[in-house]
Amino acid sequence: MAPISIRGVTKRYGNLLAVNNLSLEVFQGEILGFLGLNGAGKTTTIRILLDLLRPTSGNAVILGHDCQADGLRARQNIGYLPGEMGIYSDLTGREVLDLLAGLNGHTIDKSFRHELQGRLEFPDSDLRRRLREYSTGMKRKLGLIQAFQSDPLLLILDEPTEGLDPLMQESFYKLLVGVKERGRTVFMSSHVLSEVDRVCDRIALVRKGELVLLSNVEELRKLAARPVRVSFAEDVPVAPALPPGIEIIETGPRSWSLRVEGPMGPLLRAIAGLPLRDIEIAEAKLEDVILKYYRDGAE
Amino acid sequence: MRRAALLFAYSLRRARALILTTGLLLGALQLVLIFVAGALQSSGSFDQLSAIIPPFARELLGPSVTIVMSFGGIVCMGYFELAVMGALIAVAVTLATTPTSEVETGFMDLILARPLARHWVITRTVALTTFVTAAMVALMVGGTWAGLRMFAPAGVAWPAATLINSLAVNLGMLTLCWGGVAMAIGAASTRRSVAGGAAGLLALGTFLLDYVARLWQPAEKVAWISPFRYYNPFDLITGIALPYRNLVVLGAIALAGFVAAYVLFARRDISN
Repeated sequence: MAPISIRGVTKRYGNLLAVNNLSLEVFQGEILGFLGLNGAGKTTTIRILLDLLRPTSGNAVILGHDCQADGLRARQNIGYLPGEMGIYSDLTGREVLDLLAGLNGHTIDKSFRHELQGRLEFPDSDLRRRLREYSTGMKRKLGLIQAFQSDPLLLILDEPTEGLDPLMQESFYKLLVGVKERGRTVFMSSHVLSEVDRVCDRIALVRKGELVLLSNVEELRKLAARPVRVSFAEDVPVAPALPPGIEIIETGPRSWSLRVEGPMGPLLRAIAGLPLRDIEIAEAKLEDVILKYYRDGAE
Repeated sequence: MRRAALLFAYSLRRARALILTTGLLLGALQLVLIFVAGALQSSGSFDQLSAIIPPFARELLGPSVTIVMSFGGIVCMGYFELAVMGALIAVAVTLATTPTSEVETGFMDLILARPLARHWVITRTVALTTFVTAAMVALMVGGTWAGLRMFAPAGVAWPAATLINSLAVNLGMLTLCWGGVAMAIGAASTRRSVAGGAAGLLALGTFLLDYVARLWQPAEKVAWISPFRYYNPFDLITGIALPYRNLVVLGAIALAGFVAAYVLFARRDISN
């Protein structure tokens, strides 16, 4: 049973199509990055999963329960971090955590909460302060603690690292590793491509409400063009016509900068007769592939 | 149920400053009115005050004018004074639009992402509005009896307990009625200011309608739509028993508002 199963979900606001016939499954124990530009439909999809929004058509199932028809059971084992923490500023951090834990109905393991606080450098003294004294980063940390504190089977995180400093982002990634080791599932939206590249097993990319890419991160990386720099021992003529999949970025008398999609064989064959001194092949970046999808959508 | 109780306790705690401040001020106002009434009674000023009331006001108020211009009348004024009614209705509207505020701030996302059914959010709000209305009216009644014990001149007749209780119950029901109206509007709104403003304007408009109808006969035909028509403190002061029909009408409006709030909130998209 997939922890999340979205089947042909469409959400329409009048003439605006926010989500269009979206189907997607998130598997047990994986971290799925849900990507898209602003307004692509990421948050709308998340809100449909939580039954905050009602789909125009289609349905979504969480942990075997329909999000709308059986929403209470569907939300029994979820940890949710919203894009913006809408919390009243006159409450203390501890009051927020206790209230939300109580509404969850689970008994919170205080030692686990304490461990989370430690990892996110959020001492008890901060929990005693009112939220009006919190910085953006502190509110985000509090949001992460409330989402993780019941150690739910499924975490739904909307832009989780927004507002976190680099050190805290690092701590968050380590938290995710722990979550994954315990067999939990994570569905997270993000704008940060390097983050997705680093922590996600698969990515789903939405554009104008439609799913345009669903792929394993490793496989996607293989699709990415790799930057290659070829150096020569002596001056060589301007690059001849190269095989398809090889793009010339810059050429000089003794070096070429290229971008190579797919295997290196065609390039090596093309330069075999030249006075080769060195070849540097950089790692493929997931970002390049994703940005290409973004750009295609913008055109 | 336990989760709803937790939400109720949290909401009550958040609103405690508003509730205590308003409740104590309204209670204190009763003390002040009784102190003033006692001073006027002791100085024998009520006859002079009655004499300076202009004829049109005398005609408008009818026979109740002589009763209002008495120790008992001033004591009862604490239950129909415009500021008192306005304060009570404002608190009820504020509390009744709590869900709207929670949607607006995004807090509702966190609440409803938990295994909590939407109807509990409205049930919490109904309970909160009813409890606070009852508590504030009770504080007013407490203030009245405390004031009578402290400031009533010896030998003066106190207003009957049934009169004070009737005024309090009728006023409480009027307040709850506006809580219901505000809750229904709020259940379909995303901004508390819009919901509260709409309910406030509706209250002001219907108050003026009721007021105009008392002066201008043609308006009488439509005045029945005003909830204020079902709160007649002057009738009660002149000795007419509290008409239960008034309570039923106000209660029915409140109930219709609550039911509308349940339906609208259950169907709406939660989006700020």
